[in-house]
Order: sequence, then C-alpha cells, then structure tokens
Amino acid sequence: MTVTATSSTVTLDPRRNVPGTRPGFGSTLRAEWIKFWTVRSTTWSVVMLFVLGAGMTALICATNAEWLASGEADEDPGSFLTFGMTFAQITAIVLGTLAVTSEYGTGMIRATLAATPRRGRVLAAKAVVLTGTLFVAGTVTAFAGYFAGNWFLDREGVGLALSDDGVLRAMLGGGLYMAGLGLFAAAVGLLVRHTAAALSVVLALVFVLGNMAFLLPGAWGEWIAKLMPGNAGSSVAVPVNFNPEALAPWTGFAAFAAETAVLLVVGWFAFQRRDA
Amino acid sequence: MITVSGLTKTYGGTVAVDDVSFTVADGRVTGFLGPNGAGKSTTMRMLLGLDRPTAGSVTVNGRRYQDSPAPLREVGALLEARALHPGRSARDHLRWLAASNRIRTSRVDEVLELVGLAAVAGTRVGAFSLGMGQRLGIAVALLGDPPVVVLDEPVNGLDPEGIRWVRTLARQLAAEGRTVFISSHLMSEMALTADHLVVIGRGRILADCSMRDFIAEHAASYVLVRSPQHGQVADLLRGAGAEVTPVDGELHVQGLDAAAVGELVGDKGLYLHELTLVRSSLEDAFMTLTASSVEYAARPRTELAGASR
Repeated sequence: MTVTATSSTVTLDPRRNVPGTRPGFGSTLRAEWIKFWTVRSTTWSVVMLFVLGAGMTALICATNAEWLASGEADEDPGSFLTFGMTFAQITAIVLGTLAVTSEYGTGMIRATLAATPRRGRVLAAKAVVLTGTLFVAGTVTAFAGYFAGNWFLDREGVGLALSDDGVLRAMLGGGLYMAGLGLFAAAVGLLVRHTAAALSVVLALVFVLGNMAFLLPGAWGEWIAKLMPGNAGSSVAVPVNFNPEALAPWTGFAAFAAETAVLLVVGWFAFQRRDA
Repeated sequence: MITVSGLTKTYGGTVAVDDVSFTVADGRVTGFLGPNGAGKSTTMRMLLGLDRPTAGSVTVNGRRYQDSPAPLREVGALLEARALHPGRSARDHLRWLAASNRIRTSRVDEVLELVGLAAVAGTRVGAFSLGMGQRLGIAVALLGDPPVVVLDEPVNGLDPEGIRWVRTLARQLAAEGRTVFISSHLMSEMALTADHLVVIGRGRILADCSMRDFIAEHAASYVLVRSPQHGQVADLLRGAGAEVTPVDGELHVQGLDAAAVGELVGDKGLYLHELTLVRSSLEDAFMTLTASSVEYAARPRTELAGASR
C-alpha cells in the first residue's frame, strides 16, 4: 500500500458502498452458519452426540438382548432402542449453550451486533442454525442407534420393525427433542450469559431436578414431575417410555415446546434491552 | 461525519458519559483523547448501537448506526476489547463478517494482505499476539471499505513499526476523504496522528479544537533564568516587555526568547547562572487538563504517609 504525500481531501460519497437493498435474513443466516461450523466445539459436540447416542444404544441392546428375550424381563424392548439418546442430550445442551454464551465469554457478541444490529434477526438465525443441525444430527443418531441396537434384539427375536407402533415417531422425535433441548439451553444462555452457569442450570433442570421431582408427593407433585422439561420433552423420542407416569409423546413434546418458547421470549426480550 | 449530541450514559448511579456533544468531520483524523475510564469506549459503544444511550443521540452520516442497511459498509470499527473467538481462524472471522453484510468474499484476502496477516490467515486467533489481534481488528474495520472508520485504542500492543503503520494508515484514510475517529489515552500518539482533537475526562468534553490550537494554547514554553542578581534581572526583563514569574529563586520568562534575554542581561553587565528554553510537552498539557478528571489516580507517597499519621 503506497502512501500519497499530499493529503488533499476528496469528497467521498458516504453511501457509495451501501447496497440499495438491505442484506436479508439469508445473509445473517449464512454468517451464523459460518460462525457455528468454524469452531472446534461444534464438530466435537456433534460427533459426541452421534457416538454417545448410537453407541450407548447399541451397547445396552447387545448386553440386554438375552435378558429381554427371557421370561424374567419386566421392561419393553422398545425402551432400549433409544437408550443412548439420554446421553446424547448432554451434547445437545452443551452445543445450545455455547452457541450463545461463547459469544459473551469472548466479547464476540459486540462484533456480531455491530455487523447485524437487528438483534431479533441474529437470534432467529442462531436458532435456525442450531435447531437445523441438532434435528438432523439427532434423527440420524436415533436411526443409527435403532439399526445397531435392533440387530442384537433381532437375534434374540425381540426386535422391533420400523413400521411398529411408535418406532418411526421416536426416530424423528429424537431429532425434534435434541433441537428443542438445544434451543432451551440457548435461551437459558441468553439470560445467564455465562457458560458454566448456563450449563449448570440446564443440566440440573433436565437431569437432577427432573428425576427428583418424581419424589414430590400428591397430584401436584406428579404434574410438576411430568412437566419438567426433560421429562415432558423426551417422551416423543422413545418408542416405549421407561417411565409409565410420563405424558403421552406429543402431549409431552407440546408442553416442552411451550416451555422453550416462553423461555426464548423472555431471553429475546432481555437480549433486545440489554447493552452488549 | 459523526454527530454526537447531548449523549449521556449512566450505569446505576454512575455517570459514564455526561451530556457530550461534538462532531467528527470527514477528510481528517479526529483524536478522541482521555484517561482510562473517561468514557471513550462507552461513547464508541453507543456509536455502534451496542449500548443504549440514557439520553441524547449519536448519528453517522445523518442516521443511527443501527438503521444502516449494511453497517459494516458504512462504518468500520475496531473495538477495544478483542471481539474474537480464540478458536476461529482470522480468515473465518472475516468470512462470517463479510457474509453478514454481503461483502464479496475476495475482500477478505485483500484486507488480510493489507494488514500483513495473509501468512497467518488460517491460524487460530487464540495464538495471535496482542499486536496481531489489533491488526486483525483493523482488517475487520476496513472489510466493508467504509467511509467512516472508528478505531478504539488502535496502537495498543503494537510494536513501533506497527504504530507507525497505523499512523500512516489513518492519515491516508483521511486523505481519501474518509471520516477517521481514533481514541487513545496517549497524547504523544495523537499529536502525531490527529488533525483535530476531542478531549474527554470523567464523561465530559474538556476540549474540542484543532491540534494546532491545542498546541498553541497548552504547550507553553518559557525561558528559565537564574542569576545572583535576580531582582535586577527581573526588572530589566519586565522593562523589555516580558512576563516574568519568580519561582523558587528562578525566573520563568515568557515573551522573549533565550537569545534576547541573554543579550539584554549581557548589555547591563549582569551575571547569568542559567539560561534554558523549557518546553512543556503536550503530554503535560493533557495531564494538566485532565488532572481533576482522572478516575483512578495514584496518590503520591508523602500524601499517603501523611494520612496514616
């Protein structure tokens, strides 16, 4: 770059570079997509989601197939075909949390909002990228787990066909539940803006409090337990639920979706109002 | 052109920026000078629509930053805090920024070349030195080829060569007709770069003038004179129209240069023990101006000792 000795001022049209039409949602979406896939944590999380989700299902089916086929089994083989998804949940939560909190942790959020000052649009693009990825990864993982696990169950004659009641629904439900969990975690991240804090809150809510709630007494306690996000949302992702008290698949998922939506609206409101 | 009018920002009960108004014209470098904590970064964050002003407004070329259809093409900014994810490469960082404002992808390599980071474009920025981070920040600012360039403390962490590069770049951008707004807490740096100066302290504007006026007004020089006949010398110089201030047995003379003082005294056959031209630096002028507005001042030791007694 050469430097001219004269510092004569020329007039520069301040808008000469500005396009007539505002770069649309597609541009924000592309930016978020690049951002999402250019950090290692994304690839790691997605790989772990698959390995845990499909791998644990295959493992549990391999080790329990004989028992399930025997007369003493008191569980439905259908409960085992998506067993690994319980572990895959963790990675979905991590991915969703990081999508938001890593921006606050690094100061990136200022670059993001300087590039796209419309915050609602940033949030929408993030949500699309996150849920899209998790839906595909979750569904693929559920199918892989089914095919691997069912191979062991079939050998003992207790396998389920894809056409059997609830199996296909559970495969797609696995994708939906992962996407929902990611969004739920992202919404918490938006409110807390701190990785460790947000992760603790969501993991505690889904895994610890979700199970403890079943110890609550009375009809009230039962409803609280059923409506805890992890309990409500996961019904859709299993062909047969281990827990007989859980809500019906789509009822549960609707409740979970509503909870996520409320949290997201609150998060969005805070995001709009707060200084970056 | 940046127009700041009545801009105010309070955090809880603390006033960070207090009813600030000034304009930043195009075609020149405007320095935004103030001690740390004076409100420079807060003002810049409000300029970029990141923080919401408590009162007042700031517009770029007549509209708020957040109302621009493609802000990166209108205003390029280097933010003080490194707004980067350490795990992402320099090129990827620029790629997503380019995508967000529909800037052609080939521009990414152009700016990397321009700031001298082409060789490390694929390296994760976590491995960058402070100076390399600053260069990437400047690449971000120039990505959209914007007519307005805002740089918050651009020379922080740069080596002397890098500092000179930023200085030349800023001058060149201004020569191209762009609005260049640079914040710094270093007067010496601003003196070499800026045409115009806005000085802020404790959230208030202390000076808004050309660099030349600032120097003329604040960088006072005087002739230091020491003589055993100091009363007579003082009278003599006063008689010649100089302004003479006795300070601890010395005379500070303004209005006559050292040669004239020496000749006058010599003509009368008086003795001189010292004759020195003392120039107060711009740094001193800046310190004097902002002395009362420094947020975290170190107290001299004597004062601390006195307080404990």
